[in-house]
Amino acid sequence: MNTLTFAALAEPNRLRIIELLRDGPASVGELAERLPLRQPQTSKHLKTLAEAGLVAVRPVAQHRVFELRPEPFEQLDRWLAQYRPTWDERLDSMERYLGELRNKPNNSKNRQP
Amino acid sequence: MNSNEQVTHDIVIKRIIDAPVEIVWKMWTEPEHVMAWWGPQFYTSPTCRIDLRVGGSYRFCMRAPADQGGQDSYTAGVYQRIVPFELLEFTQQLADADGNPLPEADLPPGFPTSQLHTITFAPRRDMTELTIVEHAWPMSHMIVFSFAGMHQSLDKLSDILDAR
Repeated sequence: MNTLTFAALAEPNRLRIIELLRDGPASVGELAERLPLRQPQTSKHLKTLAEAGLVAVRPVAQHRVFELRPEPFEQLDRWLAQYRPTWDERLDSMERYLGELRNKPNNSKNRQP
Repeated sequence: MNSNEQVTHDIVIKRIIDAPVEIVWKMWTEPEHVMAWWGPQFYTSPTCRIDLRVGGSYRFCMRAPADQGGQDSYTAGVYQRIVPFELLEFTQQLADADGNPLPEADLPPGFPTSQLHTITFAPRRDMTELTIVEHAWPMSHMIVFSFAGMHQSLDKLSDILDAR
């Protein structure tokens, strides 16, 4: 599943579609206007994104509107985090450690560790 | 640009650390200190090797908590530029226990096998503004990171300085 999702994201036009959809839901026509693609090609990319679960379709009046599904992005991010702990967490650890060094009872505040 | 060309992006992380540059520099360059903070909370770092010279290598280790399997993961690379108390630049890769890079097949698709990191240390009063740049992430990963809402800029400078 993860491999499929990354394959879906690896194509520049599909990445661009994801970026456009971050601004809000859009129809195929609206997306095609903002891409160097014709509508049938745009539809094909949207189909790939939908199959990977990244995009959902919703009928709005006469139109079909495409929108992002946050779940697969969150899943992917959690999966990637196993390979790459965030700097947030590491730097939090560094600050905790620096705090411990500072608070050692017989150390002055400016003692070099 | 050729559409098949890999589009990449740098991730920039900034944080003000409440310690002078001389001390923050040690946090990165002395095994004793690296082992005290490398890895997220509840992880430990049982070993660390640092050969601090241009062309020298390092190998950091973090050990998962026992209730998460307790496995060791290694990060290794080679120092490219060293300006004491100012700048540290090195390659970084996920590695095995000997510091050799993990094969591509063991990584998520598109995950960089080796990546340049630049760390800069800037004095801010008696504190340090730390800037970490992870160079050349593929856009497919960037979009996941940014969409999941993580990895925002961590610049807490004004908050901390105002509080003083």
